[in-house]
Amino acid sequence: MSAEVITKQAPSAPIPAVSAEDQKKLYYFLIKTRLFDERCRRLFKQGRFSGTYFSAVGQEASGVGSAFGLRTDDVIAPSHRELGAYVTKGIPLVHFLKQIFARADSSDKGKSHPCHYGSAEHGLYTPASTMAGQLPVGVGMALAFKIRKEPRVCMAFIGEGGTSRGGFHEALNFAGIHDLPIVFVCMNNLWAESVPARLQSRIERYSDRAKAYGFPGATIDGNDLLVVYTTVKAAIDKARSGAGPTLIECLTYRWYGHSEIDPANYRDPQEVEKWKRRDPVALYERHLDTAGVMSAAERGKVKETIEVELDEAITIAEASPHPQAEEAYDDVYSFSPLLNFPVRSS
Amino acid sequence: MRVVTYIEAITEALVEEMRRDERVFVLGEDVAVYGGVFKATKGLLDEFGPLRVIDTPVAEELIVGAAVGAAAMGMRPVPELQFSDFASCGFDPIVQQMARLRYRSGSSWTCPMVVRICCGGEIGGGIYHSQTNENWFFGTPGLVVLAPATPYDAKGMLKAAIRGEDPVIYLEHKRLYRWIKGQIPDDDYTVPLGRADIKRAGSTLSIVSYQLMVHRALEAAEMLSKEGIDIEVVDLRTLLPWDKELVLESVRKTGKALVVHESPKTGGVGGEIASTIMEEAFDYLDAPVWRLTGPDVPPMPFAPVMEKEYMPNAEKIAAKARALAAY
Repeated sequence: MSAEVITKQAPSAPIPAVSAEDQKKLYYFLIKTRLFDERCRRLFKQGRFSGTYFSAVGQEASGVGSAFGLRTDDVIAPSHRELGAYVTKGIPLVHFLKQIFARADSSDKGKSHPCHYGSAEHGLYTPASTMAGQLPVGVGMALAFKIRKEPRVCMAFIGEGGTSRGGFHEALNFAGIHDLPIVFVCMNNLWAESVPARLQSRIERYSDRAKAYGFPGATIDGNDLLVVYTTVKAAIDKARSGAGPTLIECLTYRWYGHSEIDPANYRDPQEVEKWKRRDPVALYERHLDTAGVMSAAERGKVKETIEVELDEAITIAEASPHPQAEEAYDDVYSFSPLLNFPVRSS
Repeated sequence: MRVVTYIEAITEALVEEMRRDERVFVLGEDVAVYGGVFKATKGLLDEFGPLRVIDTPVAEELIVGAAVGAAAMGMRPVPELQFSDFASCGFDPIVQQMARLRYRSGSSWTCPMVVRICCGGEIGGGIYHSQTNENWFFGTPGLVVLAPATPYDAKGMLKAAIRGEDPVIYLEHKRLYRWIKGQIPDDDYTVPLGRADIKRAGSTLSIVSYQLMVHRALEAAEMLSKEGIDIEVVDLRTLLPWDKELVLESVRKTGKALVVHESPKTGGVGGEIASTIMEEAFDYLDAPVWRLTGPDVPPMPFAPVMEKEYMPNAEKIAAKARALAAY
C-alpha cells in the first residue's frame, strides 16, 4: 500500500476554499506540532521525564488538518497519536509539557502517562490505553449534543489497528443508526506497533468499513494538509447539519517507533525513507512556495516564535511542583469513602 | 406511606428523577418500546420520548461507553444491562473508562452515571441468566457498587446514585423484583450511599449479607429465634466502598460473624469482609469468621435440583449459624 494510490470519494457537502490567512494558520499549527514533537523526543532521550514518549512525527498533517475545522466548543475523543489535532484545538504547549513531566498542576495531576493528554477546558477527552475505547465514548458525546439539540460535533480518532476492536464497530453502527454529529478519523500509518496493516484486515481501504454502517467513508492522502483539512471540514459541516457521520481514513506514516523505546526494526528502511520523502511539512512548505502564500523568511520567523514559546514552556513545566506521594489517594471518588458518601443534593 | 414491589420502586425512582432533571436519560436493549425485559422502564418512552429512552443495538460496550461520553458532556445517563451475565461484553468501558476517568484525568473529567444491572439466581435462569458477578466490580476502585435488598432502599439508593457525581453499578436482584414488597414514603427521599443497615437487631451473632440473601438470613433468624439464638442481620446495601464501621460495630457487639452471599466463595466479597473483621476486630471475636456462599463452580447450573444445591437458603444459613452460635 502506498500513498500514491488514493481512492477519494467526494464528500456530499461542498469543499470550502482555503483562504491565504487560513493557510498560514495551518502552517503555524503544522510546524508547531513538528518542533514540539521532536523536542519532546530529545527531552525523553535526555532523561528529563520518565515512562516513554509516543511521537506523531510524520503524521502531523492528518492531526492538524482534521482539527482545523473544529469550533472551540467541539470535542475530541483521542487515541494517542494525534498531537497535531490537540495543538490545533488551541491547547498551549505548557499544558502538554506539565502532563509529560507528571507535575502536580498538570490537568491529570500526574496520574496519566505521557501523551495521554486531556483538557476538559478545550474539549479534549483524557484517553485510556485500550484501543478503540474512545469511540463509544465519542459517540456518547455526540449523542448528548443530539439530545440537547446543540450544534456541536465530536471528532473521534482511531488507528488502523484499533479498527479491529469490537468497540470500533459498535460505535460506528450506533452513530450510523442515529445520524450522530461525529466524524471518525482513522490514522492509517500502516503499522499497529509491529503488526502491518495487511495482517490487521483483509480489506485494503479501512474507509470501506463505513459502508457497513450506512454512511460514507473516504481514504485520503493524510500527508497533504489541504486535502485533509478540506475533506474533514466537509465531514464536520455535514455532521453539524444533522446529516450524520463520516469515516475518513488518512494514509500516513509514523517516522519512529510505536514509542521511543521501540526501535521499529520490523520495518524495511526503504519504506521509512520513501515516506520521509513524503514529509507532510516539506510538502506543505513546497505548496506555500509554489502558491506564493508564505515565504521561507516568513516561515522562519514563525519557527523562531515557536521555539521561544517552547523554551519558556519547558522552563515553566520543569519548574512546576511534583505531586506529593499521598495525592495517589485523590481523585478516586467525588468524596472520601471514609465520609460514608454524603450524597450531594441538587 | 404505601406498599410497592422492588421493581415498582425502581421504576418510580427512574420516572421521578427523569421528571426532576432533564439531563437524566436511559438507554439499553429493549428499554423503550418493550419497557425492559423485566418492565423496569415501562411507560418511560411514552412520557419522555425517544431522545431520552433509547433502544440500543445488542452492544454492551457501546451502551456503557456512550453513557460515559454523555456523562462527560454533562448528561446523567442511566444505562441498563439486561443481565449481569452480559456485563462481560461491556467490561472494557466499565473498568477502563467509567471507573478510571476521574482518576486518570485528575478529576478534570468526571463520570456521573448509573449502570442498572439485573442479576441473581433462584429464578431457574440457568448458566447465563443467573449470575450476580458483583465480585467483578468489587475489585475495581473508582466504581460505587450498590446492591439494595428492599423497595425502600432500592428507590432511595437509585435516586441518590442518579443525583451523585460518581460512576455507579446498581445491581438489581431479579428474584426480588415482584416477590418483595415494602413500604415507601409518598414524598421524595434518598438513602445515603456507603452506609449499611441493621435489618434485624440481635446479640448472638452477626450475619453480614446483601440483596436476596438478606431476606434468606432474616428467615433463618426467625427460625433460630425459637431456639434462643438471636441473630443480627447487617445489610451492606453498598458493596463498594463498604461500610466497615457498622459491620465492625456489629461484630464487636456479638463477637461472631457469618458472611453470606450467593456468588462463588473464592475471590468474593465475603473474603474481604472476613479479612477486615479479623484485622480490625480480632480481639472481639469468639469464633472464626465463617462464610456461606455459592460454591466455586460457574453460576448457575440449570437443573432445579442443582440450582437448589448451588444457592444458599434459609435452612443452610440457619444450620451454619446454629453451628457458629455453638462454637
